[in-house]
Parts: sequence; C-alpha cells; structure tokens
Amino acid sequence: MTQLVWNGLFVGSFYALVALGYSMVYGIIKLLNFAHGDLYMLGAFTGFAILGAAGGVSSSAALPVLLGVLLATMVITGLAGVVLERVAYRPLRGAPRLSLLITAVGASFALEYGMRVVAGADPRVYPVRLGGTALEVFGARLTVQQLALVAVAVVLMAGLNLLVTRTREGRAMRAIALDPRTSALMGIDVNAVISRTFFLGSALAGAAGVMAGAYYGKIDFLMGFLIGLKAFTAAVIGGIGNIPGTMLGGLLLGLLESFGTFWLGGEWRDVFAFGVLIVFLTVRPTGLLGERVTERV
Amino acid sequence: MRATPLKSLASLTFAVLALAGCSQGLLGDGGTGDQSSAPAQGPIVLGMLIPQSGSEAAIGPYMSNAAQLAIDEINAKGGVLGRKLELKTADDACDPQSASAAANKLVTEGVHVSVGGYCSGATLPTLPIFGRANIPMIIPAANSQELVDQKLKHVFLINGTGSQQAAAAQKWVDKQGAESVALMHDNTSYSKDIAVRAQNLLGDKAVIVEAVTPKESDYSANITNVLAKKPDFVYWTGYFQEGGLIARQLRQAGYKGSIMVADGAVSPKLAEIAGDEAAEGVYATMTQTPETLQGAENWIAAYKKKYNADPGPYSNQSYDAVRLAAEAITKAGGTDGAKVIAALEAVDGFPMFSGPLKFTPEHTLANGGFQILVVKDGAFALQDPLA
Repeated sequence: MTQLVWNGLFVGSFYALVALGYSMVYGIIKLLNFAHGDLYMLGAFTGFAILGAAGGVSSSAALPVLLGVLLATMVITGLAGVVLERVAYRPLRGAPRLSLLITAVGASFALEYGMRVVAGADPRVYPVRLGGTALEVFGARLTVQQLALVAVAVVLMAGLNLLVTRTREGRAMRAIALDPRTSALMGIDVNAVISRTFFLGSALAGAAGVMAGAYYGKIDFLMGFLIGLKAFTAAVIGGIGNIPGTMLGGLLLGLLESFGTFWLGGEWRDVFAFGVLIVFLTVRPTGLLGERVTERV
Repeated sequence: MRATPLKSLASLTFAVLALAGCSQGLLGDGGTGDQSSAPAQGPIVLGMLIPQSGSEAAIGPYMSNAAQLAIDEINAKGGVLGRKLELKTADDACDPQSASAAANKLVTEGVHVSVGGYCSGATLPTLPIFGRANIPMIIPAANSQELVDQKLKHVFLINGTGSQQAAAAQKWVDKQGAESVALMHDNTSYSKDIAVRAQNLLGDKAVIVEAVTPKESDYSANITNVLAKKPDFVYWTGYFQEGGLIARQLRQAGYKGSIMVADGAVSPKLAEIAGDEAAEGVYATMTQTPETLQGAENWIAAYKKKYNADPGPYSNQSYDAVRLAAEAITKAGGTDGAKVIAALEAVDGFPMFSGPLKFTPEHTLANGGFQILVVKDGAFALQDPLA
C-alpha cells in the first residue's frame, strides 16, 4: 500500500511541475498552451546537450552536476517559453480563443518535429543516470535519488507559490488574471508580466524534463505529448488557474493512476483516471480548489 | 441554388475518377483487362510503408535501406522483365491513421506490389486499401495473427507469426524451468496478440497479464502489480523503448528473475535505455537478425559499404521481401495483381535468409524460425536456436 502511495506521489510530482505552467498561463491569459508539454521535452533535450558538452561526469558528482544543469536548463527553457509567447501568442492577443488554441497546437507540432530535425527520431539516453539502490521505508521501496527529485520539485513549487502570493510580481500576475484591462490602466506592464509568467511556467516544465531524463534515462522528441495531456488533466482536477490546487491535482492524478492500476489492472488505468476527470468536470467544474467563477469574470 | 455546386462537384469527381482510370490504363499494365500483349512501360514500382517518424522511427531506415539494396542488385542485373524496379517509401508513423493515408498515397502513386509493414496495428488498416487496388502485399515484419485472420488473398507474411512466437516463448520458459510467468503488453494489436497467445499456451503458469500505456516513462505502478504475483519470468511483448524502461524499472524494484522481450523490442537501443546492468541477460524471441544469420557476411558487407552503417532488425526480411516480389513478378510475367498472387502462392523453395520459402494456405511461413537471443555486453547475441 505504501508502495502504491509512493509510486503515485513520485509520478504525481512530475505531473504537478508540468501542470503549474499550464495553470499559470491559463490563469493569466485564458490560453490552453498545448505546446507546454513540448517545453518539457525541450528541457530534457537541453539538459542532454549541456551534459554532452560538459563531457564525462563521474557518478559520485552526479547529483550536484545535475543540479547545475537543472538551473541552466530552466533558464534556457524559460527563455524559449518567452520566445514562444512573443512569436506565437502575442500577435493573437485579443483574437478569438479558438485561434489561439489552434496556434498552440501548431506550436506544439513545430517544437516536436523541429526537435526531430535537430536531434533525430532515435530516442536518446542520458549520459548521467540516477539509479541508486533502493531503501525500504514503511514497506515501500524508494531510492535516495527519487527523494532528491521529489525534494527539488517541492522546493520549486513552494518557491513559485511564494513568488505569486508574496511579491509585487505575483500581485501583478494575479491582477492581470482578474482583469487585464484594468491592470493596464493601473500602470502594470501587461505584456512584460505575461512574458515573465511564460518564463516561470516554461522553466518549471524544463526542470521536470531534465529530472525525467536523468531518472528514467530515455528521452525522445514525442515525450512531451502524453505528459502534456496528463498535466492538463491534473490542472483541471486541481482547479486550473489556481496554483496550490494544481499541485494537489498533479499529486492526485499520480495517486489515481497508481491505485487505478492496482485495483483494476493496467489496461483500465486510464479509463479510471480520466473517468474521474469527467466526474470532476460534471460535479465540480472549477476543480478541487478552483476559484469561484464570479471572481474570474 | 444548392444543386449547382453539388452537380459541379459530382462532375469534377467523375472527371478525376476518369483521369485516375486512364492513368492506370496507360501507366499500369493490367489489373483491369488483358493487356499482356501490350508492351509494359516504365519502372515496376514497389511500395513500402515503414515508420519514419514517431516512436518507431529508428526502424524505418533499416528496412528501406535493405530494400533499396535488393533493388539496386536486381536492377544491376537488368531488372525484372526488362523493366527497372523502383522503391517508393511512405511514412506510417506506426499509427493506424497515418498508415491509411500513406497507403492511399502509395496506391495513387501506382505501386504494383507492397513490400512494407512493420507495426501490425498500423499495417492492419492498410490491408483493404491495397486489396481494393488489387496490389499484393508481402509484409516483411508485421506479424500479428490478425493480419492473416481475415484470410485476405493478397496478404503474405514472411516474418514468423504471433502464434509461432508465443510457442517459441513457451518453449524457452519450459526449458528454463520457470514456474510463474508475468506477461506484459502495450495493448497494440501485435503486442497483445503475442501476450494472449502465450497466456493460452502457458496455462496456469501465466500468473498475470498486465497492459501498460506505451510512450510513458514511469511503469512503476504496473511493475508493482506484476511483482505482487512473485513471477520468476517476465515476458514483455511490446516495443524497445518501453522494453528498456521496463527492464530497468523491474531491476530497480528488486526483481531477480528472468526477463524476456519479443521481436519488436530487439534493438541495440534497448540495452542502452535499460542501462548495461539491467539489460545484461535479457532474453528475446526473435527471427533471424543480421547478427545471427549464418553465412550472410557478404550481404552484411555490401550493406555496410552502401550505407556506412550496420544492418539492423528486419533488414534481412525487407531485402527478402523485395527479392520475393521480383521473383513473383517474373513468374507472373507482369504486374497483374491476381497473377502475382498466384505466383506467390506457387513459390516453392525460394531461398531466403529464413530458409527455403513455401507459404502455408494461410499465407504465412510454415516455420516461424524464432530463436532465443540474449543480451551480452550490451548487444543481442544468439542463445538458443530452438531448432
């Protein structure tokens, strides 16, 4: 049982990290950024390239080196997110939502198949792997590396939450989420804040990409598709636009999958997890911690 | 008001159809009427559906390169019936929808014989498309039983089938003395077919059949399920990307028993993804690969010389598919679909890498030729020919 909980929490922390970017972007400009999963893929490949350029890394220094790579990757994918917003989404500000949605799908394909041109269709394998021997904790097998990854995810999420709730920058984001036009009238540079929101969300996705690459080892140009879908689901379960809710949603989706597999078998897992999503949307369309709808309008 | 655009659309459709009909009559040399007296013009086109994008994209070049090698050799000897052979490839992305579109594209490009098909799930929907166009299919790699269950006259498999592979797996399980076997598949046509057949053959020994979602990274939930049944043998019947991850995660979860994978997972990448430690000793059920072929050194050297790379999984079968197509067209005296099919059915003792060829009434190989490979020092090597 503890093993199931641990499996779910571990996968869920990846979902949560990726889901945050989805949620923030949706919260602030009501855009479902379907290219977000591909920024996760971009992060994985960026980390791969940096590690490759750095040459051989001894396994004892793996963790500190990876942390450095993680930070560098976050900056690069964050900037990629800013460019993506500038090129693909900003020209469409004020356009119908459907046009934005289609642009996002297009951006997703452009990133995926652009990466295929650059890196090839073959899956790549990370030069540094976080393997490690398993420890038994309350009957669950887990490794120190897994704990470290979860800790990194928690730190990143907590940092983001502080930033959004306690800083001027965060206040500006929340103000734009409520009403972009009035925010502009109050002297907030709306475009700049939106750019920085994309930076943060994309950096988190990039971090998740490096962590997945280092832990699972295999990366390929389509790796962002499925996790993008899962992250979207997690964001909806938790309440899209709401940061603590999104984190909760990610963890919950991980747990749902883990227990769904256990109770019903692997072939029913997605039926179970996405069935829960449908129930959620019917019963509570705003998600677990979603804001009241009146606040958005 | 409404009738006008509809009418014009209808007439346009007719025009296109008539044009298509014409082009087939002029460029093609049969299919509809008896045109054996008219001299055939232009090259004979072989169509090949392979994954060039998507998760299985790594396999595509192994197959198309080998097919091109065979075509170049045949053309160097003067071609078939005085006509050159030409290869047209199309990307099926290992995806049923892309495969249907790609098959339609090949049909409109006027291919005469299809020599492609890697992913069974993607090949399945192309069967009626080629069938309607009266194009014989020699399928080099895809081998789900579902491909032949429909008993389509134009479909020929030159790779061992799912049931033959499952039988080979059961043989090896018994030889190893394994008592409880966990079967894992990815819910695609090819993969599930082998797993279910193996389950039927193994009976009580099969303790669990676990389906996973392909293209994910984390299979810990599935692995927890599998290990709860305490198996001493795990058989993964999907493709290599997931296979590598599953082998690694099984070992990380403390599993000590044997791991075996099916032919879709036989790729040098499997060991790379799993990591050397986890991959070592992983078995595989596989038909002949370039590495395990006896007496194929010249062929491998020719391939290397042309492409500056080693041949890989299904290179040999693709090479044979082209040679077999050329043989059948020669025997049929043209590219008329029905005659080529008859010629394929009549083939007896045609030399292939897998041995002399004669199709069963089902249009499959009488002997699947599955062997057991094992990962040694990061590469698949022959363990047991199971002869």
